Amino acid sequence: MKSITLENKSAQRIYNDYIHRCKKAVKILPQNDQQDCLLEINSHIFEYLSAEKGDDQTEALLNVLARLGPPEEMLKELVATKKVEQAKRTFNPVHLLEAIFLNLSNGFIYIILFFLFVIEISLPVLIVLELIYPERIGFFTNKHGGFYLGYGPEESGSREWLGNAVIPFMLVMIAVIYAFMILLLRITKTTKKILQ
Amino acid sequence: MKNEFLENWHSQLRKGLLPLYVLHILDQKQCYGYELIQDIKAVFSVDVAEGTLYPLLIRLMKEELLTHQWVEQPSGIPRKYYAISAVGKSNLAEMKAYTNLIITKING
Repeated sequence: MKSITLENKSAQRIYNDYIHRCKKAVKILPQNDQQDCLLEINSHIFEYLSAEKGDDQTEALLNVLARLGPPEEMLKELVATKKVEQAKRTFNPVHLLEAIFLNLSNGFIYIILFFLFVIEISLPVLIVLELIYPERIGFFTNKHGGFYLGYGPEESGSREWLGNAVIPFMLVMIAVIYAFMILLLRITKTTKKILQ
Repeated sequence: MKNEFLENWHSQLRKGLLPLYVLHILDQKQCYGYELIQDIKAVFSVDVAEGTLYPLLIRLMKEELLTHQWVEQPSGIPRKYYAISAVGKSNLAEMKAYTNLIITKING
């Protein structure tokens, strides 16, 4: 991105600082989204300053920056939206987690997604535990009709159903929950589209 | 003198009409962000804040009502030109028809 050169030193410092904050605010996004976003902000500042040439440059710069607002606030929605798009596209768990956190205040669905994510990361832990304590991990039922998946107590009358299939079962669960999470993200977008 | 109720109503209306303004201007010619703000001010006498316009442009792009194109400039700082898409044009036609219908009805 080509930076704008300003005659006034203080104005240049204000501009540099603003762009620096914008860069920080979009850092979490893919490279091309970052670039696109910064180019547009830079272009807007440039066009505004070119059009308002008559005024004092520092004054004009402060005006356009005030109109744009603080980068962190102005870019919040964009960053959250773009992050969800990236998570849907890449199937990368890191992007998915970031997308969930950035959108936690954007609806109940993201809270559900967060809980699913917690379950999702606990399953690999169970796989490791299965390797250490093969008898204690699995899908258990007890004599009272209760059942659960995970780390089982040495309780008389409880029965484990998965046996050697624990690890393959966990792997399938991980894949299914992950696919379900991505599906939920996609559905969220579609419902919003219908409502708008 | 405007009362509070009227002021609220007016601001809601302005917000609701903004997509119509944007599509209408872009139907005449493609524009970059700053130009679009100036044109909306000139045609509709509404000063849209950047913080309102850009998120709206992103939404309209997502809905595929708009397209964009970066155009290099002699200054070395390219402009992002927005243009209306075919979907945008058909939506605009419906929005205009609906607005006209309301106006005809209240003028009855």
